Amino acid sequence: MAEPGRPLPIALVMPGNVRAGQVISLVEVTGGLGPKVDVSRLADELDYDIAVLLSTLDAAEMLGLVRSEKGDVYLTELGHRFQKTSRNKVRMLKDRLAAIEPFRTALELASKGRPVTAEQVAESLSEIGIKWHYQPELNESLINALLVHWAIYGGLLKYDGKSGKFQKA
Amino acid sequence: MSENSAQLAAGDPVVTVENVSLDYYKEKEPLPVLVDVSLTAGKDELVAVTGPSGCGKSTLLRIIGGLNRATAGTVKIVNSEVTGPRSEITMVFQNFVLLPWRTALENVLFGLSSRKDLTANQKKEKAEKALEETGLMGFENVYPGELSGGMKQRVGVARALATDPEVMLMDEPFSSLDDLTAERLRKEIYEILINPSTSVKTVIMVSHNVEEIIELADKVVVLSQRPAHVVGELRIDLPRPRNKKSEEFFTWVDRVYSLLS
Repeated sequence: MAEPGRPLPIALVMPGNVRAGQVISLVEVTGGLGPKVDVSRLADELDYDIAVLLSTLDAAEMLGLVRSEKGDVYLTELGHRFQKTSRNKVRMLKDRLAAIEPFRTALELASKGRPVTAEQVAESLSEIGIKWHYQPELNESLINALLVHWAIYGGLLKYDGKSGKFQKA
Repeated sequence: MSENSAQLAAGDPVVTVENVSLDYYKEKEPLPVLVDVSLTAGKDELVAVTGPSGCGKSTLLRIIGGLNRATAGTVKIVNSEVTGPRSEITMVFQNFVLLPWRTALENVLFGLSSRKDLTANQKKEKAEKALEETGLMGFENVYPGELSGGMKQRVGVARALATDPEVMLMDEPFSSLDDLTAERLRKEIYEILINPSTSVKTVIMVSHNVEEIIELADKVVVLSQRPAHVVGELRIDLPRPRNKKSEEFFTWVDRVYSLLS
């Protein structure tokens, strides 16, 4: 638990509504229309509503694939490489994902040798004030979905659907 | 690989549909659904079948797969007539058709359950390889309910691929997915299927999405309203990868629409 009076750490947090496919599409469309693309043009091309587009942009920036400046979006060097890779794109992001919550905490807990559940990751993150939903069940379910989707694609974790447990890949 | 198809060269017919007709019966009166439909699908070809909604495209695909019986006409794989379901033919469905109580790996293994020639370990190896080929390495123990639509369809394709099919039949395989997911998956699935490393010799895909057809198909067979007959067959000779924004692409889209309308 965080010590009283001590500021909570600033963490990178993956938006709960973003999946790899959306980030891949954003990078492909940006690269296809580039070198820079207006955010409103991206919204039109991707047909995302603004809430989804902004979350997807946040995720892509967090992963180092794009940068946005004054309403324009550019691919980074990693973004260009990501766009050109034809398969297992998300594996390229393994190290970056490992620094983002909830993957960072799940990896830390799993590295202690025991498989970890989304519930344990949720408890640990709640202690530093990171939640995706105020209702514990929905929070766990969102964390589970993020871990299953990103952490397996990224090659960070293995998952056993029967036990609902994750372990280090 | 069957002996019949081992020596085929690119373009040689793998599937031959000859004068297939199908009648349903209503109060003993025949209700024609398909009339004299003929088509061929060659080695390393992807053939699209399109037509108005309800014209019998999926029924034709089921006849080719040996799941429905035609009233007249024949379907052959190389020189062997299809009279029922066969191990060389597999099908990918629009709505994935996964068993929700089985993991991704167990769903793929289910497709191999009738293979008496394989041990349990060999089946597992095949299923794992198919999941890897479709980009699902690591998702073996995940249940369908935890997968996105695109990933569910990848499991459907993996289940079909694991059986080492020569003929892959796809019934609107991308129509349950959002546009961007479908676009990504189309490219990947084409590369996976039309590839010497798989057993697949030919693909027949039913689709009502004309742009999807022009993007993927080597040939398109256009059916009329019911009772369906072939109103046109076009060989699409656009180079790959196909640029969906090019003028030639739109010209091909127009050609297919003009046959449909």
